Amino acid sequence: MKIIVAIKQVPERDTPVRIDSGGKWIEETDLQWTMNESDAYALEEALQLKEKDGGEVVVVSAGPERVGSTIREALAKGADRAIHIECNDFAQRDALSVARLLAEAIKPESPDLVLTGLQSDDLGYGQTGVILAELLELPHVSLILHVEKTGTLLHVKRELEEGWFQNIELPLPAVLTIQSGGNKLRYATLMGIKRAKTKEVRRVTPADLGVPASAVAILEHIAQPQKQKSTQILPGPAKDAAAALVEKLKFEVRVL
Amino acid sequence: MILLPATLAEPQSFSLWEKLLLAGLVIASVALFWRRFGVVLDVILRSKKDADFRLFPIGKRVRDFLWEVMLQAKVIRQRPLPGLAHALVFWGFCAFALVTLNHVAVGLGIGFLDPLGLMGRFYFDLAALFALGCAVGILGLFVRRFFVRPRWLGEKISYESGFIALLIFLLMVTYLAAFFVADASPTASFLWWAHTLALLVFLPIIPYTKHLHLVLSPATVFLSRGGFSHIPPLSGDEDFGLVTGKDLTRLVSLQAYSCVECGRCTEHCPAANTGKLLNPKEIILGLRRYLNEFGPASDEPLLGKHLAQEAVFECTSCGACEFQCPVGIEHLPILIGLRRGAVNTGTWEDDHGGKLFLALERGSNALGMSAIERDKFIQKQELPIFDGTQEYCLWLGCMGGYDPKGREIIADFARVMDYLGASYGVLRKEKCTGDPVRRLGNDLVFQQLAEANLEALAQNKVKKIVSICPHCVRTIQEDWKEYGTPPEIEHHSEFLARHLSQLPTAIDQEKIAYHDPCYLGRYRDIYDQPREVADHAGELVEAPHARERSLCCGAGGGLAFLGEEQGQRVSHVRARELAGTGATTVSTACPFCNSMFRDAFASDGAGAPQLLDIAQLTARSLPESKPESAV
Repeated sequence: MKIIVAIKQVPERDTPVRIDSGGKWIEETDLQWTMNESDAYALEEALQLKEKDGGEVVVVSAGPERVGSTIREALAKGADRAIHIECNDFAQRDALSVARLLAEAIKPESPDLVLTGLQSDDLGYGQTGVILAELLELPHVSLILHVEKTGTLLHVKRELEEGWFQNIELPLPAVLTIQSGGNKLRYATLMGIKRAKTKEVRRVTPADLGVPASAVAILEHIAQPQKQKSTQILPGPAKDAAAALVEKLKFEVRVL
Repeated sequence: MILLPATLAEPQSFSLWEKLLLAGLVIASVALFWRRFGVVLDVILRSKKDADFRLFPIGKRVRDFLWEVMLQAKVIRQRPLPGLAHALVFWGFCAFALVTLNHVAVGLGIGFLDPLGLMGRFYFDLAALFALGCAVGILGLFVRRFFVRPRWLGEKISYESGFIALLIFLLMVTYLAAFFVADASPTASFLWWAHTLALLVFLPIIPYTKHLHLVLSPATVFLSRGGFSHIPPLSGDEDFGLVTGKDLTRLVSLQAYSCVECGRCTEHCPAANTGKLLNPKEIILGLRRYLNEFGPASDEPLLGKHLAQEAVFECTSCGACEFQCPVGIEHLPILIGLRRGAVNTGTWEDDHGGKLFLALERGSNALGMSAIERDKFIQKQELPIFDGTQEYCLWLGCMGGYDPKGREIIADFARVMDYLGASYGVLRKEKCTGDPVRRLGNDLVFQQLAEANLEALAQNKVKKIVSICPHCVRTIQEDWKEYGTPPEIEHHSEFLARHLSQLPTAIDQEKIAYHDPCYLGRYRDIYDQPREVADHAGELVEAPHARERSLCCGAGGGLAFLGEEQGQRVSHVRARELAGTGATTVSTACPFCNSMFRDAFASDGAGAPQLLDIAQLTARSLPESKPESAV
């Protein structure tokens, strides 16, 4: 089975982000980058499927030069080869434009299965994978925790609200968007990194793929969240105050 | 010169057939010896070369050789009575070398020491004294092994050891008895032949038994890597640590065959003593069994038939084994080498370990917290930021930056530094030094962390670091060397001890038991400074295991981040020992020890002693507000 995993590189969680002078994107210098979390789970799922049934895992990632480190990480963890869609205008592209890039790169591979993370940790649109399925004209299921293959059929487990799950059967080829937490991620190893050096990374440009830089959705501006601090004093006897506090924690702050 | 009244009796002459018999026996004995020793030597020489081995500087090697081999200092120091008995046997052997040569030469008619000549008389008398010591020593060791039977020597009774002891005793007795019989008498002849036979039976037994250490261990001590727990750098693109027989180096093979099975390593191992699978002696003997079965060029994985992965990952890297070993075996490079092999190739699967690796691959600290938490702590504590003008960079480490108790230690140490008027600052950003991943064998993450930190320190122009964590100190000073030149670093106990005269003494003289952290004591040789600090704050009392023989808290080697232990918890055993001293306060100098004992004491409930870092001991006698002069 040939499995393609679409991976995005996102800023590391701990890095404090600053908004750039244009106000439309973050300052990229000095940022630490990492593999998008749910994409890491998509890769893990692909590697486990390959370990069970054999086949090939190909990773695809779009973005500037820096994306190379994330591609190498994916190869180190066990992907067989990679396609790097080199574009420096990645931040200006919307989900549709990125999905088009991915679709054009994936089509000639005619894979049996395409996996990607449910959504990105930076923009969080949650659309790229779904649009990709449409562009590839393949069936898709989102929010997947677990994948099993029997013959030419896939059995997948979706996570719904409030602890409910849904089990779905679908034919191959298909596109799945993977939820974080379904598997245990493997750690990168020194041997993996060294072996990765000899693995193929094919570079293509948006021009090669025939995808223009047009975006339908335009990002107008981004802003830091406003910090708010307010103090309320709940009067009355301790019993009433505690009851009022529980109400507030439950329905206003929603932490209970 | 004192001479004995009697002289050594020798047979008068040897007939031709006696000479031929002797020559035949000597040849057979040497051939039998070589039949096994040649194989061992071949295995060692066919092992991979140690890429980082340097013979020079040779001075330290000679010093260690004289101290550990010739003077038997380590043997005696770590087990005084049996050590002394062993030394008497060893010195007896040394003195006997010339006597033995002459003894065989006499049989062939070419003796070179005349028992009646001045030189010969003197030497034989001297050797007689050594022989007497040797006989007493071997008798003592025999009694210990077969009647006292310490459990470190193993359950099984070693009859070969008994036989060897008998042979050595016989060698000495037949030599000494020759002083009391008439020269050239039939009894002299009988003694001579008895001595010869004992000698020729003894020689081939050496390479087939643990007595191989007689031949190998002097070389092992002389050629050892030196330093404590020295982890050799990986060499080339195909080196991932100890994976198969092909990765065993000459030093590792030499050490595997040098083991004398005394069990000192096991006696002091915190894992072996709390019911875990790990037994350091069995690790070394397992390697030897591997080499005997598969040889040094084998593709057979090391972790498997003879060595258990589970055991290898139970090591706290406390180093008690390596520190005690009298024959120069370096357990830690081997144990960590085996872990490197398993982790660098991805064959070690462990939920907690995997989580730790991912936390340090993606984040900044071993506790898996957001780096923003560290920023918040720095702001709340109003710690100055290092800007290149201050003398010290105060390294927080994962425990100091993220752990609640570790933060208290930092806060108190900062108060002491403020009181002393020391200039210091903390880095805006800091990553874990890589200690837990280094000891667990993850070279990839360790390299990433070491390089990122070295770069940050260079950018900030840090010249001197002070840290509350012995693990950070060790890793920065020694382990980072592979990737650059780390700044000068000291542990806060060294800083505090240096400034003790400027600090107020405690009024309350409570009893304080000090626990030696492994990474400060055995790894850095710092025993006195933290004691001075503790003594300044109260009355120092010693735990049964102290200084070089301190018992680990159980946190080292990355184990603080792994799951539940098998058997008893190391931390609880040590905490009970510390509480048993009757001290009202237990003091440590390591935030990991602190965290382990905190949990142990908490589970013991009321009555457990108070637990404080030495910085906290110092800070509690400071006045509430800073004195004018120190502002």
